[in-house]
Amino acid sequence: MLRITGGRVYDPANEVDGEVRDVCISGGRIVEEVTGADVRTIDAAGMVVFPGGVDVHTHVAGGALNFARAMTPENHRNAAKFTHSPELRAGVGGTTPSTFATGYLYAGLGYTTVNEAAVPVLSARHTHEELRDTPLVDKSCCVLMANNELILDLLEEGETERAKHLLAWHLWAAKGYGVKAVNPGGVTAWKWGKDAKILSEPVPGYSKVTPAKIISSMAAMVDELELPHPMHLHCNNLGAPGNIDTTIETMKVLDGHRAHMAHLQFHSYGGDDWDTLRSESVRLAEFFNEQPNLTADAGAILFGDSVTITADGPWQHLLYQLTGRKWGNLDVENETGCGVVPYTYKGTNMVNAVQWAVGLELLLLINDPWRIYLTTDHPNGACFWRYPEIIHLLMNADFRRECIEKLPDKALKRIHLPGIDREYTLSEIAIIISAGPARALGMPQKGHLGVGADADVVLYNDDSDRERMFGHPRYLLKGGEVVVEEGDIRKMVDGREFIVRPSYDDNIEEYLRPLFEQYYTMSFENYPVEMERLEGADIRECG
Amino acid sequence: MITLTLKEQPEVPIEAEALSPDVVSKLGNDELRALPIFYGKRQLRLDEFFEVEGELSEELEIHGDASRVKWLGRGMTHGQLRIVGNAGMHLGAFMKGGTIDVTGNASDWIGAEMSGGLIRVGGNAGGQIGAAYRGTLTGMTAGTIVVEGSAGLEVGMRMKRGTIVIKGMAKDFTGLEMKGGTIILGGAELRTGAWMNRGTIISLTPIPLLPTFAYNCSYNPTFLRVYARELAGLGISLPFEESEGSYESYSGDAAVSRKGELLVWQPAG
Amino acid sequence: MGGKVTCTLGEVKNRADFIIYWGGNPADCHPLHFSRYTLIPKGKHVPEGRKGRTMVLVDVRETPSAKHADILLQVKPGKDFEVITTLRALVKNQPVDAARVAETGLTLEQLQDFVDRMKNARFGVLFFGMGLSMTRGKHMNSAAALALVAELNAYTKFVSMPMRGHGNVTGADVVMRWTTGFPFGVSMSRGYPRFNPGEFSTIDVLVRGDNDATLVLGADPGATMPQPAIDHLARTPTIVLDPKVTHTSRLARVHITTATTGISAPGTVYRMDEIPLPLKPILESPYPTDEEVVHRILEKVKEKPAWTPASYKEVPCA
Repeated sequence: MLRITGGRVYDPANEVDGEVRDVCISGGRIVEEVTGADVRTIDAAGMVVFPGGVDVHTHVAGGALNFARAMTPENHRNAAKFTHSPELRAGVGGTTPSTFATGYLYAGLGYTTVNEAAVPVLSARHTHEELRDTPLVDKSCCVLMANNELILDLLEEGETERAKHLLAWHLWAAKGYGVKAVNPGGVTAWKWGKDAKILSEPVPGYSKVTPAKIISSMAAMVDELELPHPMHLHCNNLGAPGNIDTTIETMKVLDGHRAHMAHLQFHSYGGDDWDTLRSESVRLAEFFNEQPNLTADAGAILFGDSVTITADGPWQHLLYQLTGRKWGNLDVENETGCGVVPYTYKGTNMVNAVQWAVGLELLLLINDPWRIYLTTDHPNGACFWRYPEIIHLLMNADFRRECIEKLPDKALKRIHLPGIDREYTLSEIAIIISAGPARALGMPQKGHLGVGADADVVLYNDDSDRERMFGHPRYLLKGGEVVVEEGDIRKMVDGREFIVRPSYDDNIEEYLRPLFEQYYTMSFENYPVEMERLEGADIRECG
Repeated sequence: MITLTLKEQPEVPIEAEALSPDVVSKLGNDELRALPIFYGKRQLRLDEFFEVEGELSEELEIHGDASRVKWLGRGMTHGQLRIVGNAGMHLGAFMKGGTIDVTGNASDWIGAEMSGGLIRVGGNAGGQIGAAYRGTLTGMTAGTIVVEGSAGLEVGMRMKRGTIVIKGMAKDFTGLEMKGGTIILGGAELRTGAWMNRGTIISLTPIPLLPTFAYNCSYNPTFLRVYARELAGLGISLPFEESEGSYESYSGDAAVSRKGELLVWQPAG
Repeated sequence: MGGKVTCTLGEVKNRADFIIYWGGNPADCHPLHFSRYTLIPKGKHVPEGRKGRTMVLVDVRETPSAKHADILLQVKPGKDFEVITTLRALVKNQPVDAARVAETGLTLEQLQDFVDRMKNARFGVLFFGMGLSMTRGKHMNSAAALALVAELNAYTKFVSMPMRGHGNVTGADVVMRWTTGFPFGVSMSRGYPRFNPGEFSTIDVLVRGDNDATLVLGADPGATMPQPAIDHLARTPTIVLDPKVTHTSRLARVHITTATTGISAPGTVYRMDEIPLPLKPILESPYPTDEEVVHRILEKVKEKPAWTPASYKEVPCA
């Protein structure tokens, strides 16, 4: 049992805004009160108390990320090193940290829950193996569905109800938590070297299936299945100049269904080509503000090395041709694909400067912090361990102006950031890094410090250098265990996985089996991930 | 001068990146003796493997067969490192300035990703001289490496600027994916200049060429005149007089670009 | 500059109309490859099966796989890198030297025809085996194959895949990557992972004699490695975990018999396309699994004074 006393508590979900109050913990959860001789007290005077961070969109495990690891030894060679000790396993940080290091680095920010945003069913077993080796954080994952050809074939035939059962079956087979849609129709088109750029045009290989149809049908299925997390959507035309029209059209197509719009920064550009690229964050934010069915994460970029990893194969081929550097591509039979291209964002590059501004603009212009969350689409826009730099930028308009001054003149005409004075409060930061994403993920035990919540609590020094503050938590409690103390990782605990079991018609297997045997290359029995591979998973029944 | 003498051959490799003029020049004899080195996975004091004489000097001399001592002169910026004997892997890797001399042989990765300074090897050297470490886009960006004897694979891989001279034969893939700079060879085995983007490779004897190199002409480039004078200071004689012969010029590698130049010396007559 | 453009085997089955095998003999070494994944099956978008596909075999000799091929390109031993580099130039319509091309055993006309076919494929795939990746040029031959395929994507859809086999070598690579950040050739001697193939790869460590003990799991280096490596294994303490007596176990100080994974021990095997398959034991074994033995060794090691590099002095460096 444990009592945190004297700290200023930021718990926006329970409308606690910086009041000095005690937080009591017993049995891994927040409780009303603890008493007795064996209560440990942490004196949090001078510190602020936050619920543990929740990352709604990150890439930390699985085939694509592991592919990127193989491709970028130079990043790991120059990265943070984790030396083994009786408590810690060894590892490397960098753009695609090893699994153990991923856990240490998230804990080093005060994060306790992460959502791996792109998992193919076919290799989900691998993703779970990696997540099991990722300590200190709880985990969930979104399963790639919007280019699953068995589902698209059913949409082509108008069999939406059966498609929903198939989707539910796949989600359970993968032991996933949410449904991910990446470049709907575009990844399957990429299997022929093509893309799906226009929402109303049929996807190559289909006559009736359009990206719009995939988006609207799948969002409806997710709602009908009552999944805790809305459809997690990576829009078509990621990264392309002028893609603002596609993004707004996508929001219209959703027609009131819930959706989480991933890494919105990459979808908010005007202009016709790279030379005329400009920020359309104002237009996007204004439209988004009027859509209560939607949440989003920023997908902000920071200058420096990154490695882009996405199921968006055609975009990755383009980026490879632009950079002339390395290119990895892995198409996954019947389901999805992924591309990997190392990339360096440069402050002197006009396009990169606009991208940098757009991420911050969206965070500052979308007026409800409960609907926009801090992410960098790790490792695409920047590494997650650089979040404190963004927090500092959001909380300090003067610092932001200093950074804007360093941007190339060409970029200044194309962005809105210089005219924005808003500064985030600590409470708003607590929303965008914890309370908001927990709510979007539909995890009632996360992102707050009310009675019954998981005792994931982080204590930061109240430091005017917000980057230092959020990069160096004094204490971190995971499930009530003190894992970070005085800034050092002291204890290793395993996180658990959150999965959903949506209801579906069991007869769907009879429909699926012959198709599977025809189109896939493994035996049907080996396809679903066995439950025993997920020790202690938290299962949510839905629908 | 600081003199280190290897007492016995280590059973497994030693890693001794502390042994550079930058580090030793600031230390007294006692501190030198206590410098940490790695023997396999164990951290030991320098004096467990070396006799240590002298202190506070930018001249460091190492005696003995140090072919299993890695990372000597790593990242050094000034001063002199002299190895009387052989040197192990990564000699002068990331070096920025100063001079390294080896009287015997050196191993792989000497001068890898260096950005200045001079490395001279009296005997033979291994592979990946002045190269980029695996995955890195750019190898050496400045400086000079001179090997009196032969060299191994992938000499100058991804180098961008600077000069490498191999007086003997180099093995396969010399100048692999080269981006600039100059490599001078006594001769080479296969695939010289493979996938080079830019830069110049000069061979003083005929070498096998990839099908993706195209013959341009025979000539005596004027820049070589200047270059030869510079190299003469390092004891290297590069022929350039028309009376002595001319260079066959090839451009490639057409698999990636045609901006690299390969010059092969043809003596007159 | 690097990377790999690839897919899972089902993509080949469903889409590939142009299939190249380079430096491999799948008919003997991967006997299910043709029938299950590549040539024979009727794919979703190749309903004709074998008739809808063209197969090119590139090798230094006519192997039993040749009778499955539509086109055989017989290259001179050790000339693969020259051929692929030439192909890369031809793909980009760059000139090459016909006389030097001919030294490879193939003519410029043959290679031009090959390039035209690759570009006209709807979905092409290049499988490459140890005849490419383990002959003169080694990793650069593989890099050449990967680069050629990446560049073909400017013209059509093309992917490549190394023909890996020999037990769970892909699985070892996959797990090394997520635990250490690197695929192979990793040294933990400084307490954290470092990567340098050639320096830390097993074969090089053994040939140079850089290690003073060896633990061998699921491999038989005594049968496959060069003699100096084998001599070093015999000279120093070598411990082998293996269900069978092997060349290595005969020269080892210790051989611990373990249960056969996949038959009497569960686990996961990664296919050459990195798709994980569960292994479900069908028999009981009196022997412990590899995993149990390694855990028991680890427990014993922990009883010794801790090796804690975290407490070592920081090494000063320029």
